[in-house]
Amino acid sequence: MRDERLTFFGYFRNIYTAVKSSLIGMWITFRYVWGKKPVTVEYPEVRDVLPDNTRSRLYNDALNCISCNMCAISCPVDCIYISSVPRPKDLDVPKCDDGTPKRQVLTQYVIDTALCCYCGLCTVVCPTECLTHTDDYEYSQYEVADMKYDYLSDDLIAWRDRLVKS
Amino acid sequence: MQTWDMDLEELKEEETNLPGTKLKTELLTVNMGPQHPATHGVLRVEIKTDSEIVAQAIPHIGYLHRCMEKHCEAIDYRGVIPFVDRLDYLAAMSQELTYSMAVEKMLGTEVPRRALVIRTIVSELQRIASHLMAFGTYALDLGAFSPFLYAFDEREKILTFFEEISGARLLYNYFWIGGVWNDITDRQLGYIDNFLNGFEKELVKYDKLVSSNRIFQERTMGVGTLSLADAHSFGATGPVLRGSGQAWDLRKVDPYLIYDELDFDIPIGEGQRGSELGDCYNRYIVRMLEMVESVKMIRQSMKLLEPGPVIGKVSKVIKVPKGETYTRTECPRGELGIHLVSMGDKTPYRLKVKSPCFTHTSILPHIAPGQMIADFVASIGSIDIVLGEVDR
Repeated sequence: MRDERLTFFGYFRNIYTAVKSSLIGMWITFRYVWGKKPVTVEYPEVRDVLPDNTRSRLYNDALNCISCNMCAISCPVDCIYISSVPRPKDLDVPKCDDGTPKRQVLTQYVIDTALCCYCGLCTVVCPTECLTHTDDYEYSQYEVADMKYDYLSDDLIAWRDRLVKS
Repeated sequence: MQTWDMDLEELKEEETNLPGTKLKTELLTVNMGPQHPATHGVLRVEIKTDSEIVAQAIPHIGYLHRCMEKHCEAIDYRGVIPFVDRLDYLAAMSQELTYSMAVEKMLGTEVPRRALVIRTIVSELQRIASHLMAFGTYALDLGAFSPFLYAFDEREKILTFFEEISGARLLYNYFWIGGVWNDITDRQLGYIDNFLNGFEKELVKYDKLVSSNRIFQERTMGVGTLSLADAHSFGATGPVLRGSGQAWDLRKVDPYLIYDELDFDIPIGEGQRGSELGDCYNRYIVRMLEMVESVKMIRQSMKLLEPGPVIGKVSKVIKVPKGETYTRTECPRGELGIHLVSMGDKTPYRLKVKSPCFTHTSILPHIAPGQMIADFVASIGSIDIVLGEVDR
């Protein structure tokens, strides 16, 4: 595109500089054949170690939840469905692990993981720190409706030991 | 070479009425995109071509429109941060910075010194990551594959650091209103220092591999020239404006964070290596030189890091007083402005984003006529648009 007058020597100089700069580039790429460690990991066999504060799948430890609704309020995409009823007065009030009394009975705690944007705002406001991000990232499903996880179901409560970081 | 400045209708008439022929020639309309790899996202460009030469290019935007500005009017101030992340997903930290600065300005919050320094380090690292992406994909557009992999290798190291401090790889939610989420440890500072030492050698390698390559220079020099007057009239900012030869950088002109304490230069396009001022090569080389400046800035700010808190005093429920503000920062792609109007509620009344990429997309119809289609690809790559920010 440049409007330079092409001379006889200019023609050969162009060829020379093009070949020379290409050879320099080829030498740089050629050196990657030996002596460079691979930077990728072969995923299913080798797994990268994720940092401690990785924001992956949410897990609510329903046994420690006091149904305060803070997580549902702070969620920017409204993917947490929580409902509770007041505990009858004649029953004893159970306590969480950190001593907070559970005045409400949790009747529903569902997170639609397909809607979740993994921003971490719900875990910050949680007063008993029962809602946490885990480092589990393998939970794909065949249907979108299956991405709704009910944290009061038995199989999810059984995951507690595996998922929750100490 | 034939000029294409004449009116398109006039051109058609002339082409169809060639004397002594019955064959008619007309312009061919080709849709480039929305799923074209060279458009860096979902941009559709309607190109009217005469054989290989572009006569007219009309960008059609809106394929990634997510109603972000309207949606932000319904969520509280902290919840907006994950949404501004998704504007320019290649430089999410810079978007968060602008938004949190806008809210802090209205609240009158004082950000602790350590948080300011961390913000400077992180946003300069983000600038390097974003420019590496621009560099890699630009080389990929022009047919060189290995620079893309080398750039991603280095970008990966920055993303690993971001993942450690924020917990996410791309959409961080790290800059909060009043400061930053997590503190940086000494081990992580050592990691950055190691990275910078290795990165300076990489920059030399990129220069040898791409910038001084004769084929790359022939593809970019004199292509897509944008004069300084045109850059002003289109409202270009960032590397596009600096590539046209004006030293305009908000970090110098209107300093925020701790940029007034740092010593750095503004790289501008000067027709380096025999290129034409304001062409694709100048815009490209400005990005490469900016990475060198960013390395300098990070080194200086790491020395200024003092112990202290990283988040200031912000009430639990943020209610911004009535009023409005316009905050602008220098993002990797140009000047990002956020116009925030508050009526004293828990949610913003209006959040207008002035996006540099949207402005730069309007340059495309101006520089396209008369280019080859392959050169048009080079022009799109050189203005480095991200469609998430164009459509919002």
